[in-house]
Amino acid sequence: MHLPEYYEFCCTVKTVAGHDVLESIPELLSKMNSKKTMIITDKGVELAGLVKIVTDAISENIEIGAIESDVPPDSDVRVVNNLSKIYVKNGCDSIIAVGGGSVLDTAKGVNIIVSENSDDLMKFTGAGALKRKLRPLVAVPTTSGTGSEVTSVAVIADPERNKKMAFSSLYLLPDIAVLDSRMTLTLPDFLTSQTAMDALTHAAEAYTCLSKNPVSDIHAINAIKLITENLLNVIKNPTDKEGRLALATAANIAGMSFSNSMVGMVHTLGHSIGAVCHVPHGTCMSILLPYGLEYNMHKTGEYTGELLYPLAGDKVYSKTPKSKRPEKAIEYIRDLNQKLCDATDGRHPVCLKDVLDRDGNMMVPEDKLPEIAKTALGDGSIFYNPEELDFDDILKVLKFAWSGEKLDRSLWIHKNSFKNQESL
Amino acid sequence: MGNFATLQPGGRPLVRFYLAFMLWFVGRAIQAAALVDPNVRKEFNDLPDDFSFSLGAAFNGPQMAIGKDSNGKVKYLGKNSNIVPQVKITIKSMEALFLLFTFRESTPVANSRERMTVEGNLSHACACVRILDIVQVYLLPKPIAKLAIKRYPKWSLKKHTINRLLINLRAIIGF
Ligand SMILES: [Fe+2]
Repeated sequence: MHLPEYYEFCCTVKTVAGHDVLESIPELLSKMNSKKTMIITDKGVELAGLVKIVTDAISENIEIGAIESDVPPDSDVRVVNNLSKIYVKNGCDSIIAVGGGSVLDTAKGVNIIVSENSDDLMKFTGAGALKRKLRPLVAVPTTSGTGSEVTSVAVIADPERNKKMAFSSLYLLPDIAVLDSRMTLTLPDFLTSQTAMDALTHAAEAYTCLSKNPVSDIHAINAIKLITENLLNVIKNPTDKEGRLALATAANIAGMSFSNSMVGMVHTLGHSIGAVCHVPHGTCMSILLPYGLEYNMHKTGEYTGELLYPLAGDKVYSKTPKSKRPEKAIEYIRDLNQKLCDATDGRHPVCLKDVLDRDGNMMVPEDKLPEIAKTALGDGSIFYNPEELDFDDILKVLKFAWSGEKLDRSLWIHKNSFKNQESL
Repeated sequence: MGNFATLQPGGRPLVRFYLAFMLWFVGRAIQAAALVDPNVRKEFNDLPDDFSFSLGAAFNGPQMAIGKDSNGKVKYLGKNSNIVPQVKITIKSMEALFLLFTFRESTPVANSRERMTVEGNLSHACACVRILDIVQVYLLPKPIAKLAIKRYPKWSLKKHTINRLLINLRAIIGF
């Protein structure tokens, strides 16, 4: 096991998970002296009937000061300011965020403003600008992927200044993450599969990238196990409550893992495809994960090989000789993607050229790849990738991911020292 | 009561001197590399006009700053420049910077061990790290440079000889 000379791990979020745990929110909030709470969510979550499930579960035991579903797909400072005013006007003293990443980021922004009693979010951007604990925040995720209920960052857009503000502080960690199987029971199959592959990517990158450590590792391994043991079953039986809870748990612990160990090139490339071509994050992750592991294999093949155990189980793992495990693990991920593609009638694409928008148009035209590669060079996650990546490297990897062909590692044989296996 | 010793941060004058010297040399070498190396020049060209960045240790540790002047010329701004850098790379402590500058810990490993913080535009910060990586290859002998960066580049003989000599000379002389 890899034990770095120095590492850090912190997760202060209390996890409450089960099939009917929304009901315990009022008690949890009252322990934090909250009497009146505000629910922040988005239209999609509301239309799916999930907000009603939450309010039915809690309204008897805690006063709900406001329910606001006015959150855009990218959290926005104007919305944060509006919601903060409502929070104060209605005398709320805590927030329940019901939704995905942007809902939670918005809720974190509101919590900064109301806790710091300020009207200027800008003051709190960057790392470590927050100096004290914020008001109570409960996160109720409605997808099983991002793990944002356990991350200490938030990104909020400022359209007037044409800027994205990034916040990073342990005080941004929610107090409680509530994982209730009812929240993901109606998630469509292709979203279930893609968000689960995002979680799998968090775990796989945390386990193989530069900040790996024993605490993160154990979270990553368990997350992968839960996903591979449950994902295909859930796609076939969407109402499988146990399976849904398993995936929610997997996303949660994969979140703990990557928010401490960080992610590498799969996210570097994925963020950039998202920025240039607006492809959903989970789609990018499922397509790119095998390529990231392949590209880094000469440096981190040993760790990728270890992933074969949670991916394929002990029988396959023990039958496969050590030297073949990295390739086998990657093959297993490709295979899983193909099965998910078949099970969702092609709505879980396995290569970039097959990613289509609602009207059936190609979302990643081949001529966009250079722009994506250029964008990737400016993404911070590139720091944590085990191997160096320059523009040409990225473009080459993207071309393979575009066509769906396996990465031809021999193209790098002169550039990367393939003898050098230790490095980490 | 009252008879206790106080310890000031920033002791160990020899370490401080060594780090200040290294920062000074790296700073001047970046200025030189911006003239000599096409990749470094391109990185600076792609950065905004009045761009500047700093590198140093936290808690009053030694610092240095680099910036572009109004003509786009890259200048070493010294150790106590008054400008507020757009990108600020801070190493957690003098000890951590010492590990880095004695090449017992590579930049990516230091980063992965949370010994660095970066403030400012992240994509600009990525460019700064690439510039620092190239300059390290010029300044350090290959076996040591290999410890400092992720992948030792395949360079032409000219880069390894003439450019290397020019950058080291210019860094020493300072023009
Ligand atoms: Fe992700």
